[in-house]
Amino acid sequence: MKIKSLYKQILFYAGIVAVWQIIFLTHLVPEQALPSPMQVGQVLVKETSDGSLLYAIANSMWRLVVGLVIAIVGGMIIGIFMAKVEAVNQTIGSLILGLQSIPSVAWVPLALLWFGPTDAGVIFVTVAGALFAISINTHSGIKNIPPTYLAAGRNMGASGLQLVTNVMIPAALPYLITGFKQGWAYAWRGVIAAEIIFSIAGLGFLLNLGKHDKDISQVSGILIIVMIIGILVDGFVFKKIEAKILSRWGLSK
Amino acid sequence: MTKLQAKNIVKHFDHNGNSVVALDGINLNVDEGDFVCIVGPSGCGKSTFLNIVAGLEKPDSGEILLNGNPISTPGPDRTMVFQEGALFPWLKVIDNVEFGLKMAGIPKDERRQISHSYLDMMQLTKFADSYIYQLSTGMKQRVAIARALAMDPEILLMDEPFAALDSQTRDLLLVELQLIWERTKKTIIFVTHNISESVILGNKVEVFKNRPSKIKKEILIDYRRPRLAEDENLQKYYHQILDELKSEVIARTKEDSQ
Repeated sequence: MKIKSLYKQILFYAGIVAVWQIIFLTHLVPEQALPSPMQVGQVLVKETSDGSLLYAIANSMWRLVVGLVIAIVGGMIIGIFMAKVEAVNQTIGSLILGLQSIPSVAWVPLALLWFGPTDAGVIFVTVAGALFAISINTHSGIKNIPPTYLAAGRNMGASGLQLVTNVMIPAALPYLITGFKQGWAYAWRGVIAAEIIFSIAGLGFLLNLGKHDKDISQVSGILIIVMIIGILVDGFVFKKIEAKILSRWGLSK
Repeated sequence: MTKLQAKNIVKHFDHNGNSVVALDGINLNVDEGDFVCIVGPSGCGKSTFLNIVAGLEKPDSGEILLNGNPISTPGPDRTMVFQEGALFPWLKVIDNVEFGLKMAGIPKDERRQISHSYLDMMQLTKFADSYIYQLSTGMKQRVAIARALAMDPEILLMDEPFAALDSQTRDLLLVELQLIWERTKKTIIFVTHNISESVILGNKVEVFKNRPSKIKKEILIDYRRPRLAEDENLQKYYHQILDELKSEVIARTKEDSQ
């Protein structure tokens, strides 16, 4: 089953590259607008061999990871307070619903004014993009915990912070992981957007550089890299964790 | 010796803005080593009463005394076996059994030793490292019993623990629970709507009446153990309880149809 779907995917992507190559060969689209797969490949090979691609990935990734960790910890704390204290939900909760509707990239100007074009600025954008989605999912996760889990936890002597860390958070994990997934997706968009606008080292910077040099191969190549990282993180990190949680919780399809 | 005393427990519920009496003055004495079954129609407040004993709910008035001391909060001295779904899916069987011990700050080696002895008792040793979703409903309830016993509680509270089991599994667990009771000499309060369960298990059966909820009758069953579901001699107790409950159910049906 698994192998079969892998074959299908390989075939699909090979098909896309083939169609791309054919369109390129027909010269229907000018070369400045559509590079050939080979040209894109060459740029990526060159940037890999001189280390600039890895350097950019490392830069983007560490900002992403730092921002996401801050957003996860902060979002969970906010979400738990929203679920446990009705006054917090009515006040901060409504504010967070509003803040969540702001696209990650819209935080960039504010980040520039506060932090300048620095790592801290990019991380701010990442946190602002992910924090609210994680808060909201944590809130609904805690609200949806089956009451018997909490009753059983209290019955066996857990209370206060013990109850939060040993019962509430693990019981809410199926919801939390949804929040983390959303948070990561927003955070990743935020990192790339901020790097493009700030123009500091990272994948977003390489995109910007490509635009500046009118190098369509560079722009296309980096876009593909951004997408591949997205697929890998989603498919190999979050999907795996999610599948494990769902099966253990007896929720798997 | 009196282990647990319920003194005039009153509890109201808010139902669509109306105050409904859930418990109207429950008085109960449970002696050390008693196996008390509370039987009554659904909605008679028997689970509410058990939750109050557990400290999970607060009564509007009245008090619960454990060994003469009033209690108001949940505590590992009164562990509960819930009807279903109260085992933690994120923990292995053995970690579920150890949960309360961990909360109490007992060191890991000691915890392992205690949990293994209760897993042995419930014939679960092979499943120590399984996750909950891998177990049958009957196995889950064995784990729940092991988890509650591992805390070495003063009183074991059981809230319809066998309601979701098929009848063969239930019959087996009914015998096992009697053996465990004899072996551990635990005081047990067992809530059920199933009359045969209460007759097989209880040395005291408290028949709850409905609206207002009170204890209608206490029936003492002094009969050899382990009692089996098919034992003819238990029939007279069964019918005695059934007669008490019948009038309850009829009265309720009349009330509902009016």
